[in-house]
Amino acid sequence: MKTKFLFPNRFKRIGWIILVPSAILGILIFFGIVDFKFLEVKVFAIYSGSLLPGGETVFGVINENISEEIFEILCIVGAILVAFSKEKQEDEFIAKTRLESLVWATYINYAILILCLILFYGTGFLYVLWFNMFTLLIFFIIRFYYILYKS
Amino acid sequence: MKNSLKVERAIKNITQEELAKQIGVTRQAINSIELNKYVPSTVLSLKLSRYFSKTVNELFSLEESD
Repeated sequence: MKTKFLFPNRFKRIGWIILVPSAILGILIFFGIVDFKFLEVKVFAIYSGSLLPGGETVFGVINENISEEIFEILCIVGAILVAFSKEKQEDEFIAKTRLESLVWATYINYAILILCLILFYGTGFLYVLWFNMFTLLIFFIIRFYYILYKS
Repeated sequence: MKNSLKVERAIKNITQEELAKQIGVTRQAINSIELNKYVPSTVLSLKLSRYFSKTVNELFSLEESD
């Protein structure tokens, strides 16, 4: 079956290989269990906000530990590859399941976000947004494979 | 919509897996059709019809709710 906008099947495995380790390392960094001090480098920033007075940078160079950024990008790339690589065999049922799972995941994701909007404030909400970067893809992957596994 | 896929499959004595392979779809698709969870496309219906040498009307029939 012809499918548009999907990666070849072999990218699914590559996606898992990228996603799992970077998700684990990302979470460890998030909770401060590990840190990669050597990744403290100077980077260009369009805008860098700070709670300290005078700590703002607009179109300038800042010191930043880029370990979080690296693992966030890897997580997103890995999850995209897992979510949107072709199955070994594609057919109309798989295509329908994929579409339905994407709609379902979007609803669930925003339902949870709306709930969090009224329950989390300040930096707490910042953490919610951080997790929200990945949850749409995660919910999609869980629901899509659950339906395929169940059928 | 009802279908007699499971019956026809039993007559031919083949598994969902084998039927799926013959038709060129996934086993999940065949299973979902049999469970009335998925309505196949016209193309897939015609392929099933050809495989079982039955008309589409013999394989699939409308229900009151359709």
